Amino acid sequence: MTVITLSSLRKQYSGNYVLKGINLSFEPGQIVGYIGPNGAGKSTTIKILTGILPDFEGEATVLGMDIRKEAMEIKKRIGYIPEQAALYDVLTPLEFLEFIGSLYSISKADVQRKSMELLRLFELHNQAENRMNSFSKGMKQKVLLISGLLHNPEIIFLDEPLSGLDANAVILVKEILQQLKQAGKTIFYSSHIMDVVEKISDRIVIINKGEVIADGTFESLKNSAHQGSLENIFTSLTGNDEQKSTAGAFIDVLKNG
Amino acid sequence: MDKFLLKMIYAVLKGWLYKTGADAEQMNRIVATKLIMDRRRVNFNWKQKAQKEDTNHMLRVQFMYALFGFFVGMVLLAIPNFIFAYIIFHAYIFFMMSMTLITDFSSIMLDTTDTQIIGPRPVNSRTLFMARLVHILIYIFQLTLALTIIPLGIIFFKMGVFVGLASILTLLLTVLLAVFFTYLLYLFLMRITSEQKIKDVITYFQIFMTIFFALGYQLLPRFINFEDLDSSFTLHWYSWLLPPVWMAMTLDAIHQQLFDPTHLMMIGLAIFVPVFFFWILTKYLAPYFAKKLAATGQDNTAPVAMATIDGKKKSKPYAAIWSEWVCVNIQEKAAFLATWRITARDKSFKLKAYPSLAYIIIFVFIFVFRSGKPIAEYWQELPTTRTFLWFIYMPVISAGSLLTLATYSEQYMASWIYYASPLKTPGLLISGALKSLIVKFFVPIYLLLFAFSYYIWGFAIVDDFILGLVNNICLFFLFARFQSHYLPFSKEPNAKEQSGRFITVMVQLFLVAVLTGLHYLAAAYFEWIIYVMILPVAFSIWALMRYFEKMKWSEVVV
Repeated sequence: MTVITLSSLRKQYSGNYVLKGINLSFEPGQIVGYIGPNGAGKSTTIKILTGILPDFEGEATVLGMDIRKEAMEIKKRIGYIPEQAALYDVLTPLEFLEFIGSLYSISKADVQRKSMELLRLFELHNQAENRMNSFSKGMKQKVLLISGLLHNPEIIFLDEPLSGLDANAVILVKEILQQLKQAGKTIFYSSHIMDVVEKISDRIVIINKGEVIADGTFESLKNSAHQGSLENIFTSLTGNDEQKSTAGAFIDVLKNG
Repeated sequence: MDKFLLKMIYAVLKGWLYKTGADAEQMNRIVATKLIMDRRRVNFNWKQKAQKEDTNHMLRVQFMYALFGFFVGMVLLAIPNFIFAYIIFHAYIFFMMSMTLITDFSSIMLDTTDTQIIGPRPVNSRTLFMARLVHILIYIFQLTLALTIIPLGIIFFKMGVFVGLASILTLLLTVLLAVFFTYLLYLFLMRITSEQKIKDVITYFQIFMTIFFALGYQLLPRFINFEDLDSSFTLHWYSWLLPPVWMAMTLDAIHQQLFDPTHLMMIGLAIFVPVFFFWILTKYLAPYFAKKLAATGQDNTAPVAMATIDGKKKSKPYAAIWSEWVCVNIQEKAAFLATWRITARDKSFKLKAYPSLAYIIIFVFIFVFRSGKPIAEYWQELPTTRTFLWFIYMPVISAGSLLTLATYSEQYMASWIYYASPLKTPGLLISGALKSLIVKFFVPIYLLLFAFSYYIWGFAIVDDFILGLVNNICLFFLFARFQSHYLPFSKEPNAKEQSGRFITVMVQLFLVAVLTGLHYLAAAYFEWIIYVMILPVAFSIWALMRYFEKMKWSEVVV
């Protein structure tokens, strides 16, 4: 049984292909680390899978349903936590969560009870009635996490979910992801922080310039690339292991400039 | 009010919405949330602890519109020709509505955060579109009400119930047309330019609106002679293309109880066209619009941006040449160029600066043409007067407001760079900015007014304009000298420090008036003083510039 299938998925922006034929399929109950350099097509993939970008080429199914045909049904059963704190920050966390909950047709009382409890677990219950435009990035990120999980989705897409969180919150979120996985949920995780991806992912997919260039467990990637850490594997695969010489050139310019 | 309207719309349209495939309940929630956000967004000040709902802004706008409505009502009463009066009335409503839509609601129509926040939720595009439409309609309705309530009252009173009721209908149809044309305009803009460009275009619309209001308010009453409009109305072929004519003719038919073929066809057009357009809008344009919008929200891929940088040649170093001329060192030059560029690109600066510059024209009109004489006659007499003194000293009043504007910026946080830099005399940043404002805004306007005056008065005024130039620059620096010394673009826009503003402006006006008076006396009786004065004033400018160049951190307001 697969929860996500992508076959020859391609996406273009005015003639430029940002995804050049992605073939992937995922089993339930896994944490998938989806990594790649800037502009590799990570966010685009996630936006297609969550039904935000409807026009693409190739086939894509989520939970056995065609994204083009049954986007609404899919959206009800997946959760998406976007990057860069995209939320309406003139609202209070409670108002925002109520709003999001109502879009999933969760009753107001349920949303309120759940939200308060979740906010309390994130130590935000004192701020539940304050507007979010005074919130720090980490606080907004917590609200965003709750808003993506409120309807207890089966697949969770996360785009850089740890940005702005302090160390304790990072540990908490990692633990939440682990336990969600144990409950049989699939987690699709995109990030630049290699250590975290290395530790929590059951499977790692690296894409570069719109193509999958590595796919497997951390162990298998390590064996095939003969490198110690995911960071090293990543730089050797994305063809950008000139950092040392680039850094040298950088320092030289500073000295002589 | 807005919540009540939403309830009404929800109750009435619920069944129909479900039939078209939209989720009425979701739509209701989305609009309700947006209304809450709109109330909070305006006038929100992060320093303010209290979180009471602030409806002031909306109320103020509605009051303004009601006031305009009053004037239009007066026009309705003043124009004896029925059809003319109602053409003007409907045209006015159409213009106000489309302008308000284009400017104030650009944030609703071009909102790409929706794609991020609502996009991944189970909300179909039809629901989202209906939510947007209802959101806009609620505001339009409120504004329409504010605009039309007084004129409608007058119509009911003067023309009776039937014309009154019919005019409610024609007004609503006019508003529908305005919505349709605004959508068309946006679609057109989105086809030809990028999202950023559209925002720029909208900024210019806003600037135009502000200037239009200020000018219209001052000038229209002076130019309109209602007696001229008494002539009888004749239909031309192009009258058939103008919606306000349809509406006016519809009302005319009811007013006169006259239903001949011409009137019936006009009634047909008045009802059929807006409804048809609205149907096209919901059926075809809106989905297309949503799709386009989704694309613009995503279209920030790197390769495109890189291409434009490579493809574009460096712009002419006009500002750079000036900076070489007027700046004393590299730091001042940096502030000069930064101010030059930011004032050219910062939306909120442009939005405030250009209307305040446009006030120069308005002032000139008010002061110069304030006498009741006809303009043509006045024009003949102009060369014998000393009115050019107004042209000399008017620019500095408007330019003075730029002084304050150039200390504000939405990116005020970026001023950390000043504090982090090892700069000994931060006054250089201020003097650089001041010079930039003078060269960029004051000098061109002054030259323009000089050219105009030269055309009228000839060579005799050249010496006045030379003394005027040094006087103006000296005044400009003086204003800056007695203002709090903020570094350029370092202040938060909402900060409440406007309290002393009124006094400052009064003092500035007083100084300008005194100077104008002195200049007048000199020009009238002691022509030679003009030449004598140029040197000491120039010296004062130099001294003031030195003052800024040497200003230390302790004298700057942080």
